[in-house]
Amino acid sequence: MTMEYFSPGNLSEALSLLGKWNGRATLVAGGTSLLPDMRANLLKPGVLPELLIDITRLKDLSYIKRDGKVIRIGALTPISEMASSRVILKYAPILADAALRLGNHLVRNRATMGGNLADASPAADTAVPLLALGAEIVMEKAGRKRRQIPIDRFFLGPNKTVRKSDEMIKEILFPKPGPHARMAYLKLGLRNAAAISVVSVAVVVEIEGDRCEKARIAFGAVAPKPIRAYGSEEILTGQEITEPLIEACCERARSEVNPITDIRATAEYRRSMASVLLKRAIQKAIRAGRE
Amino acid sequence: MTEFKVIGKPIPRHDAWEKAFGLTSYAADFSLPGMLYGKVLRSKVPSARILSIDTSKAERLAGVKAVLTAKDVPQNESVTRFGQTHAIGGGFEGLYRVLADKRVHYAGEPVALVAAETEKIAEKALGLIRVEYQPLPGVFDPLEAMRPDAPQVEEGKANIITHYEVVKGDVEEGFSQSDVIVENTYRVPFVDHAYMEPESGVAWIDENGVIVIRVSTQVIEHFRGVADVLRLPHNRVRVIGTYVGGGFGGKEDITVESFLALLTRKTGRPVKLTYTREESILCHSKRHPYVMTYKTGAKKDGRLTALQARLVSDAGAYVYLSPWVLLYSMVNAAGPYRIPHVRVDGHTVLTNTIFTSANRGFGAPQVCFAYESQMDELAKKLRIDPVEIRKINYLKKGEALATGQVLEHHVGLEETTDRAACALGERPRGKGPIKIGRNIASGMTSYGKMVFLHDTSRSYVSMEMDGSVTIRAGIQDIGGGQASSLCQIVAEVLGVPLEDVKIYIADTALTPLSGTTTATRQLYMSGNATLMAAHGVRKTLLRKASEMMKVDPDRLDLADREVIDQEGTGKTLSLTDVVKACASDGLPLYHVALFKAPTRNLTKYERIEGDVFPDFTFGTHAADVAVDEETGKVEVLKLVSCYDVGTAINPLSVEGQVEGGAVYGMGYGLTEEVLLEQGVIKTPSFSEYLLPTSMDVPEMETLLLESGDGVGPFGAKGIGEPSVCSVAPAICNAVCDAVGARVFDLPLTPEKVVKVLRAKNRTG
Amino acid sequence: MKTLKTYPLELSVNGEWKKTEVSPEETLLHVLREKLGHNEVKEGCGKGDCGACAVLLDGKAVNACLTLALQAHRQKVVTLKGIGTQEKPHPLQESFVRRGAIQCGFCTAGMIVSAKALLDEKPDPTRDEIRRSISGNLCRCTGYKKIIEAIEEAARKLKRSR
Repeated sequence: MTMEYFSPGNLSEALSLLGKWNGRATLVAGGTSLLPDMRANLLKPGVLPELLIDITRLKDLSYIKRDGKVIRIGALTPISEMASSRVILKYAPILADAALRLGNHLVRNRATMGGNLADASPAADTAVPLLALGAEIVMEKAGRKRRQIPIDRFFLGPNKTVRKSDEMIKEILFPKPGPHARMAYLKLGLRNAAAISVVSVAVVVEIEGDRCEKARIAFGAVAPKPIRAYGSEEILTGQEITEPLIEACCERARSEVNPITDIRATAEYRRSMASVLLKRAIQKAIRAGRE
Repeated sequence: MTEFKVIGKPIPRHDAWEKAFGLTSYAADFSLPGMLYGKVLRSKVPSARILSIDTSKAERLAGVKAVLTAKDVPQNESVTRFGQTHAIGGGFEGLYRVLADKRVHYAGEPVALVAAETEKIAEKALGLIRVEYQPLPGVFDPLEAMRPDAPQVEEGKANIITHYEVVKGDVEEGFSQSDVIVENTYRVPFVDHAYMEPESGVAWIDENGVIVIRVSTQVIEHFRGVADVLRLPHNRVRVIGTYVGGGFGGKEDITVESFLALLTRKTGRPVKLTYTREESILCHSKRHPYVMTYKTGAKKDGRLTALQARLVSDAGAYVYLSPWVLLYSMVNAAGPYRIPHVRVDGHTVLTNTIFTSANRGFGAPQVCFAYESQMDELAKKLRIDPVEIRKINYLKKGEALATGQVLEHHVGLEETTDRAACALGERPRGKGPIKIGRNIASGMTSYGKMVFLHDTSRSYVSMEMDGSVTIRAGIQDIGGGQASSLCQIVAEVLGVPLEDVKIYIADTALTPLSGTTTATRQLYMSGNATLMAAHGVRKTLLRKASEMMKVDPDRLDLADREVIDQEGTGKTLSLTDVVKACASDGLPLYHVALFKAPTRNLTKYERIEGDVFPDFTFGTHAADVAVDEETGKVEVLKLVSCYDVGTAINPLSVEGQVEGGAVYGMGYGLTEEVLLEQGVIKTPSFSEYLLPTSMDVPEMETLLLESGDGVGPFGAKGIGEPSVCSVAPAICNAVCDAVGARVFDLPLTPEKVVKVLRAKNRTG
Repeated sequence: MKTLKTYPLELSVNGEWKKTEVSPEETLLHVLREKLGHNEVKEGCGKGDCGACAVLLDGKAVNACLTLALQAHRQKVVTLKGIGTQEKPHPLQESFVRRGAIQCGFCTAGMIVSAKALLDEKPDPTRDEIRRSISGNLCRCTGYKKIIEAIEEAARKLKRSR
């Protein structure tokens, strides 16, 4: 098997290559998902790409910035930076929380935001808070043709996204949460580091007085892709926050998730934990605001 | 207590420096010019007939130098005694098959070998070997495998490998006298040793035509088994053991040795074979899963009256050390308690799963989980404190186990329990759904091989002309300071600084054989052999010095490279002067010693009676846990380990073993399981097989008590395996204390905890 | 068989610039061990689960098994041997030995690399920061306790010598 390699120095070069080799090339950034996959393929004779396009030299795709009312994150931003960025800690701490729970410290130094989304594991750690933040994903292809997709339309299924083989994720952006925004992220894993989520949840609510004006609830590892729990959100929206309301919201979540049974947990346990974690996340989010 | 010079001091180990600088050459770090790379083709199906194997395409691939199957192995099958020189019977021997021949018996069984110029080519060649399998019915559960209609795992052989029993008194009588009876079934899973260094070795043919195998192993004496496979005389196979990157029993059986010998013999070139991690998890031995049904009876005041246990262990597809492990479990099954009536029945059974063999504790941790959970259940039922109920029943020195073996050395259970429980300190407070639990568990684990195995060890100590010292011993060092402890012993006896002692280990051609690094036997056996050898040299030196100094040899001591007169006359002689005088007189400045463990013979194996082990190490763990009642997640907050280690030769090393054993046991209790479905492993890598990380470990405290009453050198006991025994049950008992419900099978996943909590809340 | 396409690779390993030829799928781990003679970098799992292969790549601790060799082109790699030697040991190496943080030693190289990365960034780490900074390095022998204590001691020693 022969494989070629190229390391473009700028985005246009990368995109034009991607276009030319359409479908026969694979992008490699941090490599923390790709290399284990390649290893699994190598261990059984399988399909390897004809061209590896190494985008790690595209340093200007690594950034976190506040741009007016929008927070922009370059696709090549390493996960480790997400965990310590002042901008993220200030405006979107749930992203920092999720980043810190991704893999282990070594993986975090290489794994990238774009890579985590492109890999599209149903348990993708950064996808869950990004869904709750109402993020959008910017993709580009050759000729600097760009499209922007809301993240809740980005994932199609396990390891499947709408990204075409000639497209590259360039940027992730989300509206800067307002002064009334409260948020929380929780992840349940079988150990405290390097744990694939059993269930993860992110909640972003806008509270005014005792009322929840807006709610976004996202789950990971409980469906073929990371999801929004729209029904649960509806129960909270425009309502005064009471214990019974939170209970009803969490009960609703049970029917919005569609988990499987695998080596880590049964579907039933995941369903229950989705509800348990959601309750805790909502309470944590509300309390966070009061501090 | 004598004031020692180096014994009992927490000194850094010689091998630690080398490892810190990255100088140690582990098995996979070694290469030779012209070296080929070996790979193993393994069955993906657990039970099948092999209809045909076509290796022609693989053989034709450029760069491939050998493709071997069963027909190419001179002695593909043998009945192995696992290193024993004499036959024992009672199921202690087992079939060793190098490559699958007409059938495969477990998924992962080796079917063919390849050697090629590069790893990539070897890998490709594997893919070109065509094996035609005809799947056969398989059996994947030991209880099912015991049924008369179960498919036979090994053609022509019963699935039940062996059955043992222990009988003391009359359990029916005992139960009739009980005020309370507790009956439960406990299950423990397959777990992996998960050493960080995957199996690896390099073999070549030296200039004398001897096959040399440089390998990461706990047992260099497999050279005999490998020689038999190749039908070579034993002295034509040499095994060199490297410093091992973790063993824990997983490198106790032959791993890569036979494959390497065959490939180097066939190609005439050096061959390296290193397993991938996935391969290691797939194909090397695992800890025995057990199903254990326990019925324990006690009086109102907590005194145990009767214990009945049925043990069934899953041997996997090959016998290996299953009967040995079962025997350990049988002796340990009743725990370190005084029980007038005991009956234990044990079976070990073949299934079409990965074969099981030695794993740190060797059958003791499994039954400890059962008997310590039972003690906790009794404590609850009788409303007696867990510490108190144990103290009522702990055996004391001079009393006997249910098998009749009298405990002739110190039994430190009471003091280890008191110290461990006390060291937990103030009980933490829970909050909301987080419930705190606190509890203990005690354990006993033997050190030294079973006494009817006639164990021996040899060590050679010599002094050089300049007073530096050389040790040669076959001892395999798997990270527990096995080699450095011998250096410490010699430095102590010969009065030289530790840095003056150099040890050469683990070479069947050049070092006297010290036996296996297993069964927590090395400090006991090789420590004693080395002590004897060092004393042999010391005697020669002091006798010559006494002549030279005209002082009685009993007054002389060796210290700081000098011979000194202890009566304070100020007379000294430099060590090198004495050495030269000895050399000039033709006196031997070396000594080879053989230490022979006291032996007994087990007259019958079916009913186990009499002495089985030289001695035991006793200890207690105390744990504080925080359990999230809604998610079931368990955090161990604090773990105290207290052991009577006899004498701590190197406290730093002993603490390291205790702390490492604690986390090894914690993984067993909370997160580790090799999951199989219909004989296929579903946890192929460290992403699925979950070891504790630095973020999972609790605050740990290690308390070492030194009774001085061990059978090892300077009164030491062994600690390598005992350090695991009671960890998982201590944690599980603490969880039960936290939530008032018990999980009866390991590991305690969050989901299992939630399940028992729900069941408890339903029944109210 | 098709000829494999190879590419030139230039990288600095422990301060020394090296040149070799590699094919795209070769990992940095493989190249360090098999082509550049750096056996102190260990392979424990080959897929980023164990950290035995940790090296510093431009100052950041990464799994060499998850880095393509070509991704290290013209960059600086530091292994255990670049952190300290027998002639000039690093306080981390000394503390690891003296505190009993080394048993079988297979995790040690990766562990010390991770610890070095931590101390470079945080000279005064809390215990929790230390635990997190080695969360990707598995150890099966020590239970981590003496490793954490050794890192704490090394941090203290380094602070004093500043």
